[in-house]
Amino acid sequence: MSIPGFVLRNAFRNKRRLALSVSSVAASLFLLVTLQVALRELTNPINDEGSSLRIIVRNKVSLAQPLPARQLQVLERIPGIVAVTPFTFYGGLYKGDEKFTSFAQFAVDPPRTLPLITDAKVPADQLKAWLADRTSCIVGKMTADRYGLKVGDHMRFTGQVYPCNLDLKIAGIYHGTADDRNLFFHHKYLDESLGNPGTVGAWWVRAASVAEAPLVTDRINKAFANSSAEVRAESERAFVLGFVSMWANIKTLIGGISIVVVFALLLVTVSTMSMAIRERFRELAILKAIGFRRRELFAFILAESFGLAMLGAILGAGGAWALFHSLNIQKLTNGLFIMFEVTTRMLGLAFSVAALLALLAALAPMINIARTSVVEGLRTLD
Amino acid sequence: MSLPIRYSLRNAIVRWRSTIATVLGIALVVFVFVLLQSLAAGIEKSSGNTGDPRNVLVVRKGATAESASLISRENFRDLQYFSEIARTAGGQPVISADVLVLVNLPRRNHGGEANVLLRGVTPRGMELRPQVHLVAGRWFTPGKREIVVSAKLARRFANFDIGQSFKSGSATLTVVGWLDGGGSAFDSECWLDADECRSIFERDMYSSFLIRPRDNAAATNLIRRIESDPRFKLKAEREVDYYRQQTMTAAPIKWLGDFLAVMMSIGAVFAAMNTMYAAVGARTREIGTLRVLGFRRRAVVTALLIEGGFLAFIGGALGCLLAYHWNGYTTATMGVETFSEIVFQFRVTARLVMEGLLFAVVVGLIGTLLPAVRAARLPVIGALKSV
Repeated sequence: MSIPGFVLRNAFRNKRRLALSVSSVAASLFLLVTLQVALRELTNPINDEGSSLRIIVRNKVSLAQPLPARQLQVLERIPGIVAVTPFTFYGGLYKGDEKFTSFAQFAVDPPRTLPLITDAKVPADQLKAWLADRTSCIVGKMTADRYGLKVGDHMRFTGQVYPCNLDLKIAGIYHGTADDRNLFFHHKYLDESLGNPGTVGAWWVRAASVAEAPLVTDRINKAFANSSAEVRAESERAFVLGFVSMWANIKTLIGGISIVVVFALLLVTVSTMSMAIRERFRELAILKAIGFRRRELFAFILAESFGLAMLGAILGAGGAWALFHSLNIQKLTNGLFIMFEVTTRMLGLAFSVAALLALLAALAPMINIARTSVVEGLRTLD
Repeated sequence: MSLPIRYSLRNAIVRWRSTIATVLGIALVVFVFVLLQSLAAGIEKSSGNTGDPRNVLVVRKGATAESASLISRENFRDLQYFSEIARTAGGQPVISADVLVLVNLPRRNHGGEANVLLRGVTPRGMELRPQVHLVAGRWFTPGKREIVVSAKLARRFANFDIGQSFKSGSATLTVVGWLDGGGSAFDSECWLDADECRSIFERDMYSSFLIRPRDNAAATNLIRRIESDPRFKLKAEREVDYYRQQTMTAAPIKWLGDFLAVMMSIGAVFAAMNTMYAAVGARTREIGTLRVLGFRRRAVVTALLIEGGFLAFIGGALGCLLAYHWNGYTTATMGVETFSEIVFQFRVTARLVMEGLLFAVVVGLIGTLLPAVRAARLPVIGALKSV
């Protein structure tokens, strides 16, 4: 019998133990990858060209403080700005939802918004209808699918942030943006419903180029410095990262907990695997007695341990990759997670952890077999 | 006849080397579960601990939180003549119209920025909230740009020490004192003079009214009257009820705790199973002997289940102990309703400890069941012959 054959036979001798060991490695690595993916998604917003090109301008006090609508004239004169629109988070509760609406509604100036949502695909006639009708809106495909909405339907909202309720007619359904959930409607309609307060929630700006975006941000901040409504302009990506920073300790805590989770599972797995090897301690002693060298015994142990760990890694990490790749996570989690992408780095991490695991699991039996004399080993009962 | 419990317990301990990893594994599973749930419990406790049962809070209908509520001055004028409202000795209605403003401020040590909730409060509003008291410095002087910040927030935000000042909007506010909300939601607020707050942040409207009705019956009447009056689009409820509902932040944390517990317990069950299979394997002859002596299969299964359950119980207790280490520790996150930083404490409640222990024992029992059944099915003669 060849040496690899011997190792393989050995591994498959106790099928139940093999299955248990491999599944616990697989379960832990699956969880490790899932946590990594979720953390990355929550703390690292989408970084495409558009999110560095688009700039959000809010009141320096906080996002909840409005800005005067007259700032538009100043903004329009700032060099490097291609497009600017009012951008007000209406924050309405959609009829039928109890407490929480799963999508955002933004009041914008539609003709000014088109350069900002260039990746949104809308049929031309629907777009035209939206521009023409003051009380209409366009809504993302995900939201439309979720509530079973079609063009021509009416959506009724209770204002949670603004003291007005709105009835919006769907003029079009778009798709193709990084987050196909949002709803856009006419800022004029919101203004009228509120009695024309002359304020906006924020401004949405498109810079001429990615290179010029930081300069534009600076120019906007300077333009309103020492005015009655100072602003904070930042790229869309920086804006979203600001939200992430607000989660404060919870973020650190969840990061810490994923480390505990992985550690716990490693502990369990190492013990499981080393048990599989310890079970054959007597056999290893016999092999030693019939002349196998220590080095060869180490090789047997390591080969089996690595085989187990790698099989677990392929099932767990590979399984996570295949699963998240084939599922429509966006739909499944109601848009909480959008990409849910398993990166090569995470797979690398999972496999390195598996290798470490294999080494740790083999360590105790290796030390034991090296230390024990043949006679002692033969006498072992456990 | 059943085996003595001592048999199970001593067996669990005698093989400590192989069981220690299982115990620790289960301990960590329980630790993660209890810790996350204690966080959610902390948020709920801080909310549930807020308010005076005699007070009625009024916000705009549809607003999820005081900070997202706007109420007109006409509403205030109309409302204060309602006869249900208690009067002071001087005949003034006991009602406080507050203004809430979210302000984005830098954390200490360049830890990014977060929203802080500022409450522009009237002297009456301070009387109506006896939970809040000063722990350092002094109260703000009406008409001055002074602010009293929560002591718990002061540890987290830059320029929040007494004597320091920070700029927001057009004004510079000087910190003159630290307040303590006694573990309530007020621990996440900073207080300043209501009129000053309205002028700095250009607020024409109010955010909320806090009212002390004459008595309990008047409170019920008042709530009904405000809710049904077509002039107002207002929502009135008891202050304690309002705060009790502000716990949406806790929901995803609870969910995460449950999810991780379930996922991790799969690994823990495998581990327990392996340990118990090994235990059964090593004691094949012993179990055969027990059967020969007349112990029934049921007795053997029970003894092994007790052994596995006991192991898991130790793990669970260890996990709870680890989590208890964090009990009372102050932490913070963004509140979903207020959209501002909320501070609260980890609360390892007796109920959570019970749940953690129960969870551990269930994991242990599931892990032991199959090995125990295998032990019971061993043919007696074969078992006796095995090495």
